[in-house]
Amino acid sequence: MNERTDSIVLHFIAQYLMAPFILLFGFYVLVFGESGPGGGFQAGAIVGSALVLMRLTEGMEQSRRFLSSRGLLLIACAGVGIYAGVGLLALFAGQPFLDYSYVPNGWVNAFAEREHTSRALGVLGIEIGVFLAVAATLTLIFDYLMERLSDA
Amino acid sequence: MRLLGLLVLVLLAGVFVHASGDLPDRGDPNAPANVHVSPHYLENAGDEVGMPNVVSAVLADYRGYDTLGETVVILTAGIAVAFVLIRRPRRQ
Repeated sequence: MNERTDSIVLHFIAQYLMAPFILLFGFYVLVFGESGPGGGFQAGAIVGSALVLMRLTEGMEQSRRFLSSRGLLLIACAGVGIYAGVGLLALFAGQPFLDYSYVPNGWVNAFAEREHTSRALGVLGIEIGVFLAVAATLTLIFDYLMERLSDA
Repeated sequence: MRLLGLLVLVLLAGVFVHASGDLPDRGDPNAPANVHVSPHYLENAGDEVGMPNVVSAVLADYRGYDTLGETVVILTAGIAVAFVLIRRPRRQ
C-alpha cells in the first residue's frame, strides 16, 4: 500500500470520479451547515476521507509530496487557531469572548437582503476552523498508522 | 479477584437501573431539560443569530466555548497518536 498501484481503473475511478465529488460534497456540507444539516465536524470527516482515499490509491510517497504529515499537523493547529482567533477578535472589538456580533456585515446584508448576518458569518468562520482541524487530524492519524505499518 | 470485579459490576449495574427509574420520560415536555433554555433557543435563534439551522446556532454560537473545547480535544487526540506512533531513530 506504500507504493503506487498500477491499476488504471482504480486510478481513474478514485481520481476523476470519487475524489472530486467527495471534496465538493464536503465543502457543500461545510458552507450549507448554516441553514441545513451539516457543519465543520461533518465536512472535516468527509474531506478527510477524500484525503485518505488519495493516500490509499496514489501511495504514501506521492501523497506526502502534496501534503506532508508536518503540514497536516500545522493545518490542524491553524484550525484551532482560527477558531480561537475569531473568538479573540471579539475581545478587541469590545465584545465578550466568542460573541460574533462585531463582524462587519454591510455587503453581506445587501447581498442576502437580510439583517443580522454578522453572527452567521462568525459561525462560518469558526466552522472553517473546526473543518481544518478535523480533516487534518483524521488524515494525520492515518499517516502515522501507515508509517508504523510500513516499519514492520 | 475476577469474582470481586464481577460483583462490583453487578452492584453498579443495579444502582444505575434503580436510578434510571427516576429519569423523566422521553419527550416529556415538563422535563427539566425542556423547560430551562431550550424554548428560548427554539423561539429566538432565528432573530438573535440570524441562522435558520437551530442546531448550528446552539453548537457554534450559544455554546461556542463547548465547541472550542471539542476542537482542542480533536487536535489533542491527533497529537497523542503522533507521539505514540512516531518513528524513533533506532540506536545501533
